[in-house]
This record gives sequence, structure tokens and C-alpha cells, in this order.
Amino acid sequence: MAGQTDHSISIFSAAEVEFIAEDEMIEIVPNIRMNALNLLCGDFGPFLPQIPCTVPLWLAVALKKRGKCSIRTPDWMSVEKLTQVLEAERESPREFQPLPFHYVEISRLLLDHAHDDIPEVYMVRSLIEDIRNVRFHKVESGLETISGRTHAVKLKNLSAMEVNLVRPFMARVLQAFYKHDSPEMVQQADTSASKRPQVVDRGPRRDLRPR
Amino acid sequence: KKKKKRREQKSFPSQIASLPSPNPRHHPTVGLGASTCAMPGYYDISDILMEDEAVSVAFHVGANGVGLLDPGTETNSVEKGAKIDLPFWLAHELCRRRAVSITIPSCFGQKMKKDVQADAACVDLGTRYPYFYEFGCKLFPLVGDKSIGPFLRHTFANRYKEMLSKSHTASLNAIPKFVLRLSKEEHQLFEAARSSMVEFKKWRVRDLGLMKTTIVGHKRKTDLH
Repeated sequence: MAGQTDHSISIFSAAEVEFIAEDEMIEIVPNIRMNALNLLCGDFGPFLPQIPCTVPLWLAVALKKRGKCSIRTPDWMSVEKLTQVLEAERESPREFQPLPFHYVEISRLLLDHAHDDIPEVYMVRSLIEDIRNVRFHKVESGLETISGRTHAVKLKNLSAMEVNLVRPFMARVLQAFYKHDSPEMVQQADTSASKRPQVVDRGPRRDLRPR
Repeated sequence: KKKKKRREQKSFPSQIASLPSPNPRHHPTVGLGASTCAMPGYYDISDILMEDEAVSVAFHVGANGVGLLDPGTETNSVEKGAKIDLPFWLAHELCRRRAVSITIPSCFGQKMKKDVQADAACVDLGTRYPYFYEFGCKLFPLVGDKSIGPFLRHTFANRYKEMLSKSHTASLNAIPKFVLRLSKEEHQLFEAARSSMVEFKKWRVRDLGLMKTTIVGHKRKTDLH
């Protein structure tokens, strides 16, 4: 959970990341008539049957569970788009394709609760699984290139859940490498600096304490 | 001698357990590394346990009243030049006062170096030297051998590569054999990776129940390279 007693690495549990993801807006088509909802996070207009409107994901799932609406799949979750993304992921071994930040959580919620609203549900599910696996392999291979001179590791277009997965491990590894490396690498010539685009090296370390 | 005493006075930090900066002029390359090691803190249990490791020291001066340390002595004192095994915390303090000189323990010796060169990932640090890295970091400024630092880093870098893939895919129950070979510090890394992975998997199949098989069934190898 966030804010554990071990303050060196703060971990978000997966449920917490999902909670944050539920703030994303999504389109629904209600099938009841309801007055406008004036909530702290915004006003969601009067609901008329068969008129689509945009609401936060948590509200959409709640309405769906009560059978009061049907959820419209977001654009990026169509089979064609996902196949495109998968092909692109497979082709470029170092870059991540731009995907919505919370795609894992959103897709899981929709696949759980609204699977009758999604065309070709099984295909979508397996595509998302594959995309996730491919991206995770890339993260792992990127982590392999961490050497002592890495100040930070840059992973572009990574999604919230994936970041949460590697966060404790990566933080600890960077700390450990830093601990082992400070005096020695300053002496040695920089021949082994990694040149992959994912690892950003901002130059030699500076002594912070005056000697 | 007076000069040495004055330098020692200066280098006495407010906390007792901070890493030594005994004499920056003697170890110019070492000073920064020692003081920027990850601060374990005075109350850290693993740090306390680590300092309990025995090191072999050679006394420069005679010491009275501590014959307990040397099992072979008849009088209640230790002689100059005697070689004794002391716990690290004691040796460390005595070394700062220039009363002893520490000899490098076997875990950083030639045999270990050969083992690491052969295959770093197979070296069994878990059972023999669980505090390998921390110990090395602390020993580094006290002993004259400057090759310990790069050696530690080299070992860690090689073992890290092996560990990376295995730690993420390890499941909760099956403990792969290599976990027993990890030092305490590496073990923490491994645990962090594994627990976050396991938690994510649990979250994914939380509500699915019977639908789990459709996800688990798609175990195709992804060809990247």
C-alpha cells in the first residue's frame, strides 16, 4: 500500500492504481432517464435514453452493474488498432508504442464488466495480453543495460501498471549500483557507457560534499 | 603523533556508526565512496548483524586487560604483533585509532576472485557470506587494497543480469535454487520484484474465476530479437 513503513520505496498496490485509473472519462449510452448528477469532480448532464454522454469510468461501471447503460468501447480498444499496436511493438525492440496511460486497468475493468458491449471480446483480450507481455519483455531487456553510470532509466510511453510493477525493483537496483559505483567509476575511463536510447546518461557524477 | 591525534579528533563524527573518513590524504580515491555508501543507520538490524562478522587483525600495540580476545595467552593481555579474530565493529574502531591493522578476509581473496571470474552467478553468497556487499563497502576504506571496490561492483553487475529475468518470473511457492545463493541485499531486490509481480497477477485474475483459463492459455513465445 502507499506509504508503508519501509519508506525507502513506496509501493502502490495494484488496486490503488486501478482506483486512480477509474477517473478516466469514457462514453456510455444510458437506457434510462435520469437527472443531472452534480458531483465534486464535475457535473454529468441529464441522462436521456440512447443519447451518449461522457462520464468517469467508476460511474460507468457502477451504472453498468445496475443495468442502466451500455458502455461504448474506446477507440484504442478496437481489434484493428490493437493489432497495429502489437505489430509495431514487435517490430521496434527498444521503443514502446503510445498507449493510454491506464490501458491495463481500463481494459481489465471493461472486459470484466462490459464484455457484451465489446465486439470480438476474446480477440481483444488476447491481443491486450500479448501487448502486455511484449512490453514487459522490453522493460526487462532495457533493465539489463543498467550499468554504474546510469543516473536514471528512461522508459517512454510506459503505462501506469507497468511502472508500478517494476518500481520497487528498479529503485533498489539503482540504489545498489550507485552504492557500489561512486568512487571507482570516476577514475576509470568511460568505455562501457551504454548507448541504448532507453538509458539516459547525464554525464559524470559531481562531488556533492566539499572535501 | 600529535598531528595524528588532531586529525582523528576532527574526523570524529557526531553519530558513532557513520562510515569512517579516517584520513582523506591516505586514501584519496576512497573518501567519497565510503561516505556516500547507502547509510544503513545506527538502528538497522542487518547492519548490526553484519558488523558481527569476524576479521583477522594484527595488533600494533600491546593491550592490557583484554586477554579474553586472545585464547592462547596466559597473562590477561594481548601482545604486540598478535594475530587475533575480532568482530568487525571492534576491529573497525581499533583500526581508526591505529591500534590494529586488518587483513583482508578470505571472502575477498584470490580464490573468490577466481570463482567470480568463472561464473559470478553461481557463487554461493547466501550461505557463506550473506553480507558480502555491505561488508566489502565497509572494509574498503580500512584496508589498503583498492581492488575490492571494482571487484564488488563487477560481481554485482554479473549476478544482477542473471537475477533480473528469474526474479520477475518466479512464482510465490516455488523457490528457485539460485535464491539460496543470494546475499541479503540481493535477496531484498529479488523479493521486491517477485512480490510486485505476484500481486499484479492476483489483481488480474481477481474477479475472473472461470475465465482465468483464457488468459493463461495464451502462452506464446514473443520473438523480439
